[in-house]
Amino acid sequence: MRIFLLSLSFFISMAVSAEQDRYQFDNNDQAVRFEELTKELRCPKCQNQNIADSDAVVAKDLRDKVLVLVKEGKTKDEVIDYMIDRYGYFVHYDPPVTPATLVLWVLPVLIVIIGFGFIVIRQRKASVKQTWSSNDEALLAKLIADNKRQEQS
Amino acid sequence: MNRKLLAIAPLLVFAFVCVFLYQGLFANPREIQTGRLGQDMPAFNLPDLMQDGKRWTNESLKGEVYLLNVWGTWCPTCLVELGYLTKLREQGVKIIGLYYVQGYDADFDGPFDMQALRTDVTDMLGRAGDPYQFNILDLHRTLSLDLGVSGAPETFLVDKNGKILLHHTGDINPRVWRAKFAPVMQELN
Repeated sequence: MRIFLLSLSFFISMAVSAEQDRYQFDNNDQAVRFEELTKELRCPKCQNQNIADSDAVVAKDLRDKVLVLVKEGKTKDEVIDYMIDRYGYFVHYDPPVTPATLVLWVLPVLIVIIGFGFIVIRQRKASVKQTWSSNDEALLAKLIADNKRQEQS
Repeated sequence: MNRKLLAIAPLLVFAFVCVFLYQGLFANPREIQTGRLGQDMPAFNLPDLMQDGKRWTNESLKGEVYLLNVWGTWCPTCLVELGYLTKLREQGVKIIGLYYVQGYDADFDGPFDMQALRTDVTDMLGRAGDPYQFNILDLHRTLSLDLGVSGAPETFLVDKNGKILLHHTGDINPRVWRAKFAPVMQELN
């Protein structure tokens, strides 16, 4: 187990130092912003990878551009807007609320509301107060009487 | 009544899912990248691919309707569309090439060799047809990034004021031309 942990820590430290070798930052804040952005931006070529993951040329170009913009002191939103200007909303994994994407937000809420509504209506129907009149009383008495006679015969 | 409705509910859900998935079958996932549509050509100043010292800017391209075709000799689909693009040139369509420099591996690119690239380009255009008035060399893919290009081939239709009207990802063939480009071209003429 100790050997396993030791070798694991060795691999982790290797990966970290390799990452630091490739991209030089002026401060930790920039490094964090860069890491967040490359995970949040989507590769336009290999569409189910973020640009940190992808080996496509365009993903490398976008990474390099994010690095330049982050070093220029651009905020996270400014970098995301820069990319959306060029590649459309598609490039960001967190789509904004627009008429086209509204259904994504509204539909789950609607389904929950409809589901609860269904349950509430069923409950209400089940717990409706029974009415009981003298007519019903008479009918019941008659039925009981009829059954008694059948048992006797 | 309620019970009947409940009985067909699974069928309705199934039908909805069918319709949703069916249209997904024919949707093109590359259709959505349209960041620059309706905007002006981004500012650039880039060298000519074939001619030393010659440079092109967004201003020098204004004045005529043109297609900006992003391509490279490394791209097999570009080779395929060269023939049809050459036909379009013969019909009077102005086509400008934007040469998208890319090694075969993004991370292990060799040093850039201008002379080898020119030989490659001349060779390929000689074999497959040359649709281009001229080619702009986008060595570091800066204009490509500003245009929202994700690879090659991609084609932009730009009007004479420098406004981007269409952005097509993938090859241009007679079907794409008829459906997407011809109607817009007709409106412009």
